[in-house]
Amino acid sequence: MKIDTWFGTIETGRAGEIQEARLLSKDIRELALHSLSLRDSRSDLPPEGFDLKAAAFDCGFAESPAEYYFLLHEVTLEAAKLQVSGALTPDQRIIQAVEALDDINETTNALSERLSEWYGGYFPESGLGGEDLALFIVKYGSRENVGPEAPLYSKARNSMGAKLESADEALLKGFAESVCSLYERRRQIEAYIENSMELIAPNLKLIAGPMLGARLISLAGSLGKLAEFPSSTVQVIGASKALFKHLRSRAPSPKHGIIYSHPLINTAPWWVRGKVARAVASKLSLAARIDFYSGEKDLSLTEKLEAKFLQIRTSNPRPPQKRQESGAKPKKKRRK
Amino acid sequence: MPEVKKLSDGIFEVVKDKKQLATKNLEPGKTVYGEKLIPVEGIEYRTWDPRRSKLGAMVLKKFNIPLKEDSKVLYLGAASGTTVSHVSDIVSEGEVYAVEFAPRSMRDLIGLASRRKNIHPILADAGKPDSYSHLVEPIDVIFQDVAQPNQAEIAARNAVRFLKKDGYLLLSIKARSIDTAANPKEVFKEEIRKLEQAFEPRFEILNAKDLKPYHEDHLGVLAKLR
Repeated sequence: MKIDTWFGTIETGRAGEIQEARLLSKDIRELALHSLSLRDSRSDLPPEGFDLKAAAFDCGFAESPAEYYFLLHEVTLEAAKLQVSGALTPDQRIIQAVEALDDINETTNALSERLSEWYGGYFPESGLGGEDLALFIVKYGSRENVGPEAPLYSKARNSMGAKLESADEALLKGFAESVCSLYERRRQIEAYIENSMELIAPNLKLIAGPMLGARLISLAGSLGKLAEFPSSTVQVIGASKALFKHLRSRAPSPKHGIIYSHPLINTAPWWVRGKVARAVASKLSLAARIDFYSGEKDLSLTEKLEAKFLQIRTSNPRPPQKRQESGAKPKKKRRK
Repeated sequence: MPEVKKLSDGIFEVVKDKKQLATKNLEPGKTVYGEKLIPVEGIEYRTWDPRRSKLGAMVLKKFNIPLKEDSKVLYLGAASGTTVSHVSDIVSEGEVYAVEFAPRSMRDLIGLASRRKNIHPILADAGKPDSYSHLVEPIDVIFQDVAQPNQAEIAARNAVRFLKKDGYLLLSIKARSIDTAANPKEVFKEEIRKLEQAFEPRFEILNAKDLKPYHEDHLGVLAKLR
């Protein structure tokens, strides 16, 4: 019987005695690569209860338990390291970028709100917000520096805001610079996501747009997982709270998760949203599968989705009024 | 001077201000996840938070922990190595085969394993023991904490391959990962039934207790081969 082990291949006889052994050298990297190559092997597995350590002594691979375990430890460690470094695939990079983008959005909003609150004391009439305000502060600092050529000149001259001392001005300018650079970083990450999506998931990008596509990958965990999901799961990704509430109690089922941000869904009238969400989700899963398994761009997907959308719209021109009334009653009863 | 009481092989209760679960630190002076170190008469103890470790909770729930100083342990669902580090303390002369599927957690586990020579990290799916059968020797104790819907099956598959005839299975069953909607008590009953008769090998349940208040909707199980 032939048995593959991490330290080599051995042939055993009927009684389990070792007849022949082809051992590997004690080179850690070589052993680790060999170990990884055995992961998907379906044949020549050690039989149930096979004592690898005893076999390693019998065939002379290791001389003592200490040596056996030392080598095993180094080999498993090296193999795990190789696997971990191979795990950072392009879709994992997109996930990191999406999460970084969410963090940046949150921070930018908080900081620019603070900036507008703070600078508002000195120039409340500016009417600026967000990045515009930050750029304005970086450029001028105090409103006294606004020259006659600037559109805000008259407002700045007649402002009821307090005088901005130079120490405060330096502080605010620095703060505004940080806010500006965050906005800059946001654009950079968005561009990165758009480019990477075109490379690794062109069909998903086509149907969902780069940001929604990237978010779907991020919530699924990887492009492979997204491709394996049924489209009903894709439809409610991001609505887990509503979904589990539905499964546990009698709450209504969610019609859409983050795919709600898809323009076809969020512009559709409410009575067809569920149907449209289902159609979009099914095309999204198809797109993810094409991207993961073949990678070729299929332009007919959008056409098919458009056709399906039109069909849904024309067959449901009006909200279903009668059903709504009769549907409302049992709902109340259920709530008891 | 803190008072030390032995609860089981390698597992202690150290009383300093309050009662705390602890193990002897295999690498003195170093902490793994921000736990406290308590030196008593030249021996350094590492506190063990039962709320962060199902095994720790099982100790406090008076399970008979079958770990010995020289046990060979197959740890399924090693995560970042919080509990693995304590198992590594307990089996100071033994070996821990730590199986984890998530590369992110494996990153932390590798850091731990490179410092502790008795931890052998394996990045693999615990549901597919064939993929690491070329690495693992016969095992005294399988500890499983994988939060998968087919936990009982995973335990059986690993036990049939690796567990010695007189070995033990320690299992943490998370009701919510088997069925989010069902009543946890029903889920536990069903899982116990599965362990007892659904797969080969069959298990004999020695102890099964809810891990409240340390973990919500978790059942700790100690079993051996029938």
